[in-house]
Amino acid sequence: MAELLRAEWTKFRTVRGWVLTVVAAALVTVVPGLLFAAGSHSSCSVGPIEVPCPTPPVGPDGGAVEDRFSFVHQALTGDGGLTVRLTSMTGIITYPPPDHDKIVPGLVPWAKAGIMVKDGTRPGASYAAVLLTGGHGVRMQYDFTHDTAGRPGGVSRRSPRWLRLTRSGDRLTGYESADGRRWTEVGTARLDLPDTVQIGMFANSPGDLTVKQSETGGSIGQKRFTQTTAVFDQVSRQGTWSGTEVGDGPGETDWERYHRANGLVRSGGTFTVTGTGDIAPSRDGPVFEDGLRGVPFGLVVVVVAAVLPIAAEYRRGLIRTTVLAVPRRGRALAAKAAVIGAVTFAAGLAAAAVTAPLGMSLLRANGFVLLPAPLLTQVRVIAGVGAVFALVAVFALALGALFRRAAGAVVAAVALVVLPYMLAVFSPVPDEVSRWLLRLTPAAGLAIQQSVQEYPQVLSHYTPGAGYYPLPPWAGLAVTAGYAGLALALAIRAVRRRDA
Amino acid sequence: MRATIEVIGLRKRFGPTLALDGMSFTVEPGRVTAFVGPNGAGKSTTMRVVLGLDAADEGRALVGGRPYRTLRHPLRHVGALLDAAALQPGRTGRDHLLWLAHSQGLGAARVDQVLDLAGLGGGVARRRAGGYSLGMRQRLGLAAALLGDPAVLMLDEPFNGLDPEGIGWLRELLAGLAAEGRAVLVSSHLLSELQHVAGHLVVAERGRVVADTSVAALLAAGDRVTLEEAYLRLTGRRGDG
Amino acid sequence: MRRELHAEWTKLRTEPGAGRLLLGLVTLTAVTGVALTAGVTCPWDRCTQDTVKLGLTGVQLGQAFAVMLAVRMISGEYGTGLIRLTLAAMPRRTTVLAAKATLLTGLTLAGGAVAVAASLLGAGLLLPARGYPPPSPADGPTLRAALGSVLYLALIALISLGLATVLREPAAAAGTVLGLLYLFPLAVLLLPDPDWQRLLWRLSPMNAGLAVQATTGLDDLPLDPWTGLAVPAAWAAAALLAGGLALRRRDA
Ligand SMILES: Nc1ncnc2c1ncn2[C@@H]1O[C@H](COP(=O)(O)OP(=O)(O)OP(=O)(O)O)[C@@H](O)[C@H]1O
Ligand SMILES: [Mg+2]
Repeated sequence: MAELLRAEWTKFRTVRGWVLTVVAAALVTVVPGLLFAAGSHSSCSVGPIEVPCPTPPVGPDGGAVEDRFSFVHQALTGDGGLTVRLTSMTGIITYPPPDHDKIVPGLVPWAKAGIMVKDGTRPGASYAAVLLTGGHGVRMQYDFTHDTAGRPGGVSRRSPRWLRLTRSGDRLTGYESADGRRWTEVGTARLDLPDTVQIGMFANSPGDLTVKQSETGGSIGQKRFTQTTAVFDQVSRQGTWSGTEVGDGPGETDWERYHRANGLVRSGGTFTVTGTGDIAPSRDGPVFEDGLRGVPFGLVVVVVAAVLPIAAEYRRGLIRTTVLAVPRRGRALAAKAAVIGAVTFAAGLAAAAVTAPLGMSLLRANGFVLLPAPLLTQVRVIAGVGAVFALVAVFALALGALFRRAAGAVVAAVALVVLPYMLAVFSPVPDEVSRWLLRLTPAAGLAIQQSVQEYPQVLSHYTPGAGYYPLPPWAGLAVTAGYAGLALALAIRAVRRRDA
Repeated sequence: MRATIEVIGLRKRFGPTLALDGMSFTVEPGRVTAFVGPNGAGKSTTMRVVLGLDAADEGRALVGGRPYRTLRHPLRHVGALLDAAALQPGRTGRDHLLWLAHSQGLGAARVDQVLDLAGLGGGVARRRAGGYSLGMRQRLGLAAALLGDPAVLMLDEPFNGLDPEGIGWLRELLAGLAAEGRAVLVSSHLLSELQHVAGHLVVAERGRVVADTSVAALLAAGDRVTLEEAYLRLTGRRGDG
Repeated sequence: MRRELHAEWTKLRTEPGAGRLLLGLVTLTAVTGVALTAGVTCPWDRCTQDTVKLGLTGVQLGQAFAVMLAVRMISGEYGTGLIRLTLAAMPRRTTVLAAKATLLTGLTLAGGAVAVAASLLGAGLLLPARGYPPPSPADGPTLRAALGSVLYLALIALISLGLATVLREPAAAAGTVLGLLYLFPLAVLLLPDPDWQRLLWRLSPMNAGLAVQATTGLDDLPLDPWTGLAVPAAWAAAALLAGGLALRRRDA
C-alpha cells in the first residue's frame, strides 16, 4: 500500500494544474472570511458621542451572558430558603406580528417570574432560581446555561403556583407546589457561593423575536420590547426588601415611562414585580467561525480538484495503465482517495488556521466584542474544516469514478454539498426544510464549524444562516463521512466489476 | 480547383518547442506522397495547420490554392484522418458519419456508401463506437475522410491497427484514389507499407523538410532497394543491414 | 449556419445523455417545487407567501442539469479530441458555437417550459387545500414568473456553454459555473454594508435573474423583474463572446 500511495502521490504532484487547484481551494477559503471581517464595523454611542462598546457580563464559566431582571431581595447568610405564592403573571408585547402596529397583552414563551438566590446583584454573578415561564411551565435554572423542567402550565388567581428555593451549604434545591402543602422537587444545583448571598423574587421578559426575509436573501431578526408583571404573596421571609434593576442599561421605552415602570410595587404582603430582559447565555457578537465564511467557496474548488485526477484517468484510457500497474483496482482507488483526502485536509487546515484567528482579530479591531470560544473548540473547528475538505474531496472523487464523467461528478457533488447549504441560508426555503437539508445531505458536516451552543431555553433565531446547524458538530461530520464512505465503497465495487 | 496541398514556410512554436521550422513542400495530384520523418518531426502539426486547426506563427498552407478555412464545404475538397480515436464513445459509427455528412450538406445515402467502402457495412456501424477495435476505428476514420468524395486526401498514419487484409485494401485504395487524379498525402512510419504505392517522398526532420524527391529517382540513385533503407540513409541513420 | 445546425443536431440526438439530462431537469425542478409547496402555511392566518416563487424554487436545483447539458456539449468534444474533426468539417468556428448555442437554447427552453408548467400545475393542485388560490396563467405576474423562469434556464445554459468553451476542461467549467451561480448569493450575504449587498445582488446571475419569479413585494427588490433577467442575459452574452473569441483564436 505504501508504494501505491507513493505512486498516486507522484501522479498528483506532477500535474501542476491539479496542485494549483488545491492551492486555489485554500485561497478561496481565506479571502471571503477576511473580507467579511475587514468590512464589518461596530460602534456604540451615547447620544451623539461615540463610546467604546460595553463588554457584556461574563458568567461563572467565562461565557458571555445576558443578565437583566427586576430583583426584590434581601441578604441570606448561611443556610435557609424562601417560599412564595405566585398568583398572577401577565405582561405586554410591543408591536408583535403580523402588523407590528399594536401593543398587546401577553407573555413571550420564556418570560420569567420566580425566586432566586444570587451571589450579589452584579450582572453575571452565579445564581440559582426556580421560576415560572410564559409558555414552558415551571423551571429550575442556574448559572445561565442550566435548565430543568418542572410541571407545565401557567398561573391564575384560582390555581396559584407555590415556589420554594432552599440553600444548604453549596446545594440549592428548587421545589414547587400547587397548594403550599405537598411539594415536589424540581431540581438541584451545586454552586460555589459565599456565605452571604441575596435571596428574593424576580421578573423579566426577553425581547420578542421576529424574523423577516431581507430582499437580498438573508434574514433579519428584530427584538421588540416586552415586559412581565408578577404578583407574589405568602412570602415566607420577613424583614426589609430592596429592589434592584440588575443589568439595566441607560434609556427607557415610552411604555416604561408612561404606563408601567420596571420595579417593585408593594401593598402589605403582596409584592408586584415588573421586569424586562433575559438571564441567559449571550447570543450577540461575532463568533470564532465567522472568519470561515469562505468554506463553502473553498468546497466548490475542492470538488473540482478531486474530480480532475479521476476524470483524467478515464478520459484518455490512463486507467488501463493504472490497472496494469496495480491489478488490485480497489486499492488503487483507495490510494487515490487517500492522497486527495490528505492534500485537501492540509489545504483546509491551513486555510482555517490562518483565517479564523485573523478574522477574529480583524473583527476585534473593528470594535466588536466577540463571543469567546474555548481553545479546544477552536482546535475542533479548525481541524474540522480540514476534515470536511477531505471528506468532500473523497466524495467527489468517488462520484467521478462512478460516473466516469467530469461534468456530471462536479455538478452532483456541488449540488449535494454546497447547494443544500446555499438553500439553507438563502432563498425562500422554510426554516424547517433548511434544517432537514443540513441533516440529510453531505452538507451536514459543515456543522463541525459551530462554536456556539444552542440552548432550548434561550429564544434566538437558530438557523444555519445564523451559524446554528441542526446536528451537533460530530454528528454532522459523521453524516458527511457516511456519504463519503458509501460513495467510495460503491466506486470501489464499480471499478472492480467494470472493464477498465 | 486544382487538387494540391501547398505548404509554404510554416513556423510554429509550442512554448519552448519549435514544432515547425520553415516546413515547405507541395503535394501534387495524381500520386501518393509519403510524408515521413522521426517522431516529433512535425508531420501531424503540419497537417493540423493545413486543416486550419492550428494557426501557424509564420507561413501559409493552401489546399487547391485556398486557405482551408475559406472552403464552404471543406470535406468535399479535403478528406482528413488525424486521430481515429477521437470519437464520442456513446454514439454509433454510422451516426458519427451522419453528423459529419450533415455538416457538408450530404445525406445518409452517402454515409452508407462510404461505410461499405471502408468495410464497415452490416451491423458494425450500428454499434456504439466506444466498443470498436483499433482497426475498426481506423476504418471509420477513413470512411470519414472519404465522405465528401474529396480531391485532396490527408491521412495521418492510416495503417495503424489494420489487419494484413486491411493493409492490402488500404494500399489499393490509395493507389486507386491517386490514379483518379487526387492528391494524397500519407504520413507513416511503416515505409514498407508505402513501398509500392508512394510516388513521391517528403522527409521531415525537426520541423523542416530534409528531402523532397520522387520515389523512382530515389531508388534509382543507388543500390538501395527498399524505401526504408533510403529513408535511413537520407536522415543520416544507419540501417541494420 | 444551416449545415452547422443540422450536423450539431444530429450529434445531439445520436448520443444518449441529452434526453436524460432534460428529464432530470424537469423532474428535479418539479419535485422540489411541489415538495416546498406542500409545506406552505398561512402564518397568523395570513396567506401572504409568494406561492408562485416558492413553487418555482426548483429552478435553482434544476438549472444544474442545464449546466451539465451545456458543459457536455463542448467539453465533451475537447475531452475526446472530437473537436478537431468538428472544426475540420466546419471551419467557421463561431458559426459552430452559434449552432450549438441555438440548439442548446431550444432544448433548455423546451425542457424548462415542461419543468415550469409541471411545477405550477403541481402547485395548483396543492395550493387550494392550503388556503391559497392556484396560480393562473391569466395573472400577469404569474405568467411573467413562468416565462421568465424558462428564459432564465436557457440563459444559464448559455453562460455555461460560453464558459465551457473558454475553459475546455469539463470539471473546471462545471465548477466555475456552479460557483458563479451558487456562491454569488452567499457572497452577497457576506457583505456587511446593505448598499454593497444590493450592488452585488444586482450582479449575481442567480439573484438578479430569479427576481423574475417574484410576484409579491416587487417594490423591495433591488431590480425590477425583467431588468433582473437582463443580468444573466448580459453574463451569457459576455461568456459567449469570450467563448467565441477563444475558439477563433486558439489552436483546436
Ligand atoms: N499541442 C501541442 N502542444 C505542445 N507541443 C506540441 C503540440 N503538438 C505538437 N507538439 C510538439 O511539436 C513537435 C511536433 O509534433 P508532431 O506531433 O507534429 O510530430 P509528428 O511528426 O507527427 O510525430 P509522430 O511521428 O510521433 O507522430 C513535437 O515536439 C511535439 O511535442
Ligand atoms: Mg504524428
